[in-house]
Amino acid sequence: MRMKKFINDPKRLVPELLEGFALAFPARIRLLGTNTVVRATPKAAGKVRLVTLGGSGHEPGLSGFVGPGMLDYSVAGEIFAAPGAPRCIEALREACRDGGSALLIVLNHAGDVLAANITMEAAAREGLNVKMVLTGEDISGPVGDRRGLVGCVAVYKVAGAAAEQGASLDSCFHVAERMNRNMRTLAVAVRTATHPATGHPIFELGDDEMEIGMGQHGEAGTGRMKLKTADETAEIMLEKLLADLGVQQGDELLVLLNGAGATTLMELYLIFRRVARLLESKKIKLARSAIGEFITTQEQAGFQMTIARMDPELIRLWDEPADAPFFFQA
Amino acid sequence: MTGCISKAELGKMFAQAAELIRDRSELLSHLDSQCGDGDHGTTMTRAMEFLENAIGPANRQTVSEMFREAGWGVMGVDGGASGALLGSFIAGMGDPPSGDEMDCKGLSACFGAGLRLVQNRTKARPGDKTMMDALVPAVEAFSASAENGKDLSEAMRGAAEAAESGAESTRNMVARYGRARYLGDKTLGCADAGATSIALLFRGFSLALVTKKES
Repeated sequence: MRMKKFINDPKRLVPELLEGFALAFPARIRLLGTNTVVRATPKAAGKVRLVTLGGSGHEPGLSGFVGPGMLDYSVAGEIFAAPGAPRCIEALREACRDGGSALLIVLNHAGDVLAANITMEAAAREGLNVKMVLTGEDISGPVGDRRGLVGCVAVYKVAGAAAEQGASLDSCFHVAERMNRNMRTLAVAVRTATHPATGHPIFELGDDEMEIGMGQHGEAGTGRMKLKTADETAEIMLEKLLADLGVQQGDELLVLLNGAGATTLMELYLIFRRVARLLESKKIKLARSAIGEFITTQEQAGFQMTIARMDPELIRLWDEPADAPFFFQA
Repeated sequence: MTGCISKAELGKMFAQAAELIRDRSELLSHLDSQCGDGDHGTTMTRAMEFLENAIGPANRQTVSEMFREAGWGVMGVDGGASGALLGSFIAGMGDPPSGDEMDCKGLSACFGAGLRLVQNRTKARPGDKTMMDALVPAVEAFSASAENGKDLSEAMRGAAEAAESGAESTRNMVARYGRARYLGDKTLGCADAGATSIALLFRGFSLALVTKKES
């Protein structure tokens, strides 16, 4: 099937998209140089700045989470491709200007990690006060090299709240690490997306199939099966997540459901209903939840389910206000 | 002095490689779509067009500085892992101090240093179905030729052939690194796009040096 997307120039997708994004939220964000999104009003001097990097084509991720209570800088790459180290180091220099410090939050994907490591080498040479957190919570991958999926939003949220309150770089780092250690994500896909620059589908999946464990870019997962109902799908995924995280009765969980782009809110609420009911029956407390589109992959259909074990401090930080274009809470 | 190259020849090498990669952009994207997200051709074209402009006689820096800055610049074209690794290779080529001209051994030292920087930054090794399957044999073949006193154009032809057979060998490999590794056995049968790009890079270098000899 031919690609049907509203596009001007496939080579200018990212700058045009970010220009539109900045025009839509002039009170909240602006562009810094090429393709880096920053807060319209910088955070007060002396507070830790949060920086992230990642490919585009996943809107509203990642730049949609720049704002008070969350990120300070989002260095956007090309479609599905990490930004280069030169632009990442520019963002870190900005973040560390006037002797400040920065927490670089990176999702575990080969290109992102490569760019981040080269950036951190340069930051060390320049004596910038930066720490890096690598998020990786996709249970379809091997322990130690799990992909970073939508769980990064929870990390932005809690580390962002800590930074806003004036926590030190070390404290922000530890909060981010604790969130990362305590979260697990599993993705499912039912229909492919088209790469908007090339027009090619990014994976193949039969009309009546679904795949559990699919990555953010259609990387094949481990469980291809016939399409199941919302209840069955929710149950299969939740059980795997609970087992992997070793959740016990009485634990308090944050649940995130992230639509991949073409899966409707209707479907997500059907899934969430079953998740909430199952947790209830298992006497596991649903402490907080967020349902919507956070990190998408074009018109891919499917979703990511994240669970995270929350302690009182993580809940407190989660509840702090945030005012990013795509994450607002009073 | 025979068998030496200066910025003028380096410029021609990168221009010729850029032309080859631009011409094969569709093929590279097609290969990438078998195992990745199908944008390798456009990414590599962007990177090579940057290099074509950055490397050549118009550049007023020393050769080492030119490579270091060009490599850093390639990382700046936002080409994901391919851009970062190609950029590291070029930046690493600037590690050995080089004068205005270099002979086969001098260029071999640059390639070796470029490869070392890439190896420091990626865990991918030959056999993983990545650009390393072409880059490692190409640099090794060039180094062996330089040691044996061959001239530049012969050494580069050998490197191009080694890169091409390395790229070809990826056809029978299962991806073990990067995004493609999740596809497992589905990656059998198609050559790796990154390795194919590296083969084109060295073929371009070789064509540029052959042309020089004939003209």
